[in-house]
Amino acid sequence: MDLRFTPEEETFRRDIRAWVATNLPKEISHKVRHAQRLTRDDMQRWARILGQQGWHGWGWPKQFGGPGWNAVQRHLFEEECALAGAPRVAPFGPVMVAPVIMAFGSPEQQQRHLPGIMSGDVWWSQGYSEPGSGSDLASLKTRAERRGNVYIVNGQKTWTTLGQYGDWIFCLVRTSSDGKPQTGISFLLVDMKSAGVTVRPIVMLDGEPEVNEVFFDNVEVPAENLVGEENKGWTYAKHLLAHERTNIADVNRAKRELERLKRIAQAEGVYDDARFRDQIALLEVDIVALEMMVLRVLSAETSGKQSLDVAGLLKIRGSEIQQRYAELMMLAGGPYTRAFIHEAMDAGWQGDHVGSALLSPLAGTYFNMRKTTIYGGSNEVQRNIVAQTVLGS
Amino acid sequence: MDFDFTDDQNSLRDAVARWVGKGFAFERRHGLAKAGGATRAVYGELAELGLTGLAVPEAHGGMGFGAVEAMVVMEELGRGLVNAPYAQGALVAPALLAAAPDDLQAAWLPKIAEGSALVVLAQQERAARYRLDRVETRATQTGGGWTVSGTKSVVPAGDEADAFVVPAAHGGGIGLFLVEKAAAQVRGYPTQDGARAAEVVLKDAPASLITVDGLATLEHAVDVGIAAACAEGVGLMDKLVALTVDYMNQRKQFGVPIASFQALRHRIADVKMQLELGRSMSYFASLKLGEPAAQRRRALSQAKVQLGNSMRFVGQQCIQLHGGIGVTDEYVGSHYFKRLTMLEMTFGDTLHHLGEVSARMTDQAGVFA
Repeated sequence: MDLRFTPEEETFRRDIRAWVATNLPKEISHKVRHAQRLTRDDMQRWARILGQQGWHGWGWPKQFGGPGWNAVQRHLFEEECALAGAPRVAPFGPVMVAPVIMAFGSPEQQQRHLPGIMSGDVWWSQGYSEPGSGSDLASLKTRAERRGNVYIVNGQKTWTTLGQYGDWIFCLVRTSSDGKPQTGISFLLVDMKSAGVTVRPIVMLDGEPEVNEVFFDNVEVPAENLVGEENKGWTYAKHLLAHERTNIADVNRAKRELERLKRIAQAEGVYDDARFRDQIALLEVDIVALEMMVLRVLSAETSGKQSLDVAGLLKIRGSEIQQRYAELMMLAGGPYTRAFIHEAMDAGWQGDHVGSALLSPLAGTYFNMRKTTIYGGSNEVQRNIVAQTVLGS
Repeated sequence: MDFDFTDDQNSLRDAVARWVGKGFAFERRHGLAKAGGATRAVYGELAELGLTGLAVPEAHGGMGFGAVEAMVVMEELGRGLVNAPYAQGALVAPALLAAAPDDLQAAWLPKIAEGSALVVLAQQERAARYRLDRVETRATQTGGGWTVSGTKSVVPAGDEADAFVVPAAHGGGIGLFLVEKAAAQVRGYPTQDGARAAEVVLKDAPASLITVDGLATLEHAVDVGIAAACAEGVGLMDKLVALTVDYMNQRKQFGVPIASFQALRHRIADVKMQLELGRSMSYFASLKLGEPAAQRRRALSQAKVQLGNSMRFVGQQCIQLHGGIGVTDEYVGSHYFKRLTMLEMTFGDTLHHLGEVSARMTDQAGVFA
């Protein structure tokens, strides 16, 4: 047992840190550190910078053009990016669909799609949830009917994060109504420029159009865009979920945001108020405990000597912590966070902030963070999964 | 970074678990507690296994093992609900005596290693609560030696011990002194968690000087005790959760196992969360024991906050999940709950350590801060 990283891992970390310091544009990290609004161009600019280095798919094996890093190296890369104030990479392409294409896609699909994901040029979206299918995802109704060399897709997806920017969308679609709901689902790649695809942004409670409804009206999708076998899509989707493990806890971002919370509390004069300060201290303990749990998972994955089935716990705890730091930041800001000036979150805005510029985004972030215990399998669904594992019944 | 145990550490764990399995069934534990909580015989059996020498340097007849080995033993003693003062006698006492002059170490450490002497920290005072730097017991230099006067409370296994390590104030600070039991008035009593403790009154008691400047040593030894308490808590919680899972799968109400009810399933998921957070921070505690004092003390306080919250939640909820049987004396689970409860108040409770974390916060945070 050893808490320290090896000298090789520390060297790796220093190399990543130096690279990020040189290559992360200052105006982007400034926006991230101050919770200002990121544009599509900001996000894609960082994705392309990573792509040029071959790191936009930082979890990919070498055979598909990735760096071939192990779990610890991936963690160190994510940590250095987060602590430097890099935007969170939109996971839909490099983290979600790419591993499915690698594991189950045809060589043609791999050659066609993976380079564009790695380079950061092609923006992917996720088409899973539907108006009637949230936690009960397998009940989804969007249909894909095979007609010759094409599928005809009809239906509606929703909660598609940043889908307004999407070039392609990976969808779970119903190709059969026989048997259990899970057995009639297929995994389909759809060009969002296809005729019949309509994207309608949904304005969320913080005033931001972060997610979208995506409508499919007789959309023709070439049959070659089916990943793997027809009616096996549920299996592939589960593979995708299993692929997303420690990243889901987002503990590195939590450490960065805890530092911001302390700066805000100091500026607002509550850092030395014992009642408030103890709440920060408790959150700090929560974050250390979460980080230790993440490190245990990384160690188990790297050595292969233990199996540690705690992905559900990481999701629950990580999301609770995100909500908590957003809540404490808002409470530190107090009544000044009530002002809602939409433009105040844009970099370079010349207007007058209420209280101080630190405070303008805080209520919005708090409202926005309520999503974290709902998305990615609600925390109640995660508890069902954890209980199943613990009870074995 | 590596959280695997070595083969030797796994063998050590198995050895303790085997002894618990063969020689320390709940009936014996229950009987000992009902008879007043005396456990010197149990301590002797741990000594026969060689465990009392674990943390004593090899030069003094011990094994000189490290924090991870201690953690492994404490997890298993917790799992077995072993009520002997192992952490106090075999882990905390050697850490205190590390600051002693050579002749005092030579006089006591070999006996501690072989288990023939039980030395415990007598720290608690009425006005100190959990603060280590608030000491009213006085030490006075008399000719060639020292005497100490004062009252120490809730001294673990106080009437079963052979000697006490006593923090006492003198003109220049807080010293540590070794006082043999014969020099003290000792009033022993059973504890809620099935062991014994004592009030120890010292009146000009002859004492051997360990060190005149003892606060740093005391803080380190208490951190060793905190890591041990964390590991014991993990073992206790592990077993209590396993008992609870079995019960939920067996117990039927409304014609089905209670494990089928979602309200209870979510509760056991929350329990599992607190158990794993606790286990993670127990590792953290043991692995941070070797750090410089400032980082070490902050880390151990962080760990004790997590374990305090975890032990209380897991204990309370596992009792709740058992229903009526959980609040009986005959059921083993209630004894795990009582030990978990008392551990929260050992070496500083959750609010005390939250205050410590709060006072020691810096701009940085995280495992490596």
